[in-house]
Amino acid sequence: MIPAAAPTQDELYEDAASTYGAPLERLARAYETDPDIRRDLLQDIHVALWRSFESFDGRCSTRTWIYRVAHNVAASHVMRQRRTRSQALVGLEDEELENLPDATTGQHAADRSHALDRLLNLIQRLKPLDRHVILSYLEGLDAASIGEITGLSPGNVATKIHRIKTVLARQFQQRGSDDE
Amino acid sequence: MNNLPNTPQQIWQCQPVESIKMSTEALRQRSGKFERMFRWRNVREYVASLSAAMGFGYFFVTTHAVLFRIAYVLFIVGLGWVVYQLHRKGSARSMPAAMGTATCLQFFRAELERQRDVVKNVWPWYLAPLVPGFVILTVATIRTLPFPTSLASAAWIDGVAAVVFLLVWRMNRRAARRLQRIIDELYAAENSQ
Repeated sequence: MIPAAAPTQDELYEDAASTYGAPLERLARAYETDPDIRRDLLQDIHVALWRSFESFDGRCSTRTWIYRVAHNVAASHVMRQRRTRSQALVGLEDEELENLPDATTGQHAADRSHALDRLLNLIQRLKPLDRHVILSYLEGLDAASIGEITGLSPGNVATKIHRIKTVLARQFQQRGSDDE
Repeated sequence: MNNLPNTPQQIWQCQPVESIKMSTEALRQRSGKFERMFRWRNVREYVASLSAAMGFGYFFVTTHAVLFRIAYVLFIVGLGWVVYQLHRKGSARSMPAAMGTATCLQFFRAELERQRDVVKNVWPWYLAPLVPGFVILTVATIRTLPFPTSLASAAWIDGVAAVVFLLVWRMNRRAARRLQRIIDELYAAENSQ
């Protein structure tokens, strides 16, 4: 019997792009607000993914590999952008997270009640590693998978997810009350 | 009234997406564009350094005082060393091919450590190579110009250089400390259970 040939770099990419295209787009949206730069970032992620499959050896799952590449490209983007943007990033443990200014006020006052904007506002203020965790959580990944992608211990991931749930509940409850 | 029908996870996953797809041909082209972009950035670094070196070269050709000429040669050599080190330590790097092998924590920390190592101690590779040029320039100024103009000129040149050196050193030290704090946080996150 002839063993099945291993998928090529292009085949691996095609499969990844069709399965994870939407999550990658959402991920890019969480890392960049400017639509043009976001499009560039998304293309960078796709190129990095395609190139990375050249050395994919199956030591981790394809999903873990894809998310690692995407988050790592996005984290590099955040580091580059931070040199030109002065906005301070906060961690999940920071008290500041409770008092984040609402970016949906002002020019976007009409969209104040938009839940997705609130969520993006919160995510985009987080430090890269915490952003990885909250995005993975929002994509529905379990704690073990998040740990494998980020390199955090399961206990640490659990703590962060607990904190994320608390912050999200408080933010949405609070903003919901504001909108009433 | 709060009419939000979904959980944050559902809100996130149900957002509209454009479903952008790239053909393998487009990927190859963009990948090649990356390489060209990095090459051009390196070329720009070299051209900027070459321009500064040409400035000193001009002074070298137009002056006949031996000490001044030695100073300008030392500045050119010093600049060359700085450019080489900039290129070696922190120049634009092409996109790593194996980003998937490192966890986010390892990748992020490695990038921060690389940046920290560049700015941690700028004396040996960024500031010190220019010192010999300034020393000889000071001696040349004192010996060539009449007193007290010579002393005033030397004091002015060295004073400005000292202030700039001090500012560069302090800014880099501060940047290194800030990076180290983030690196420490990442180590703590990795080791905590």
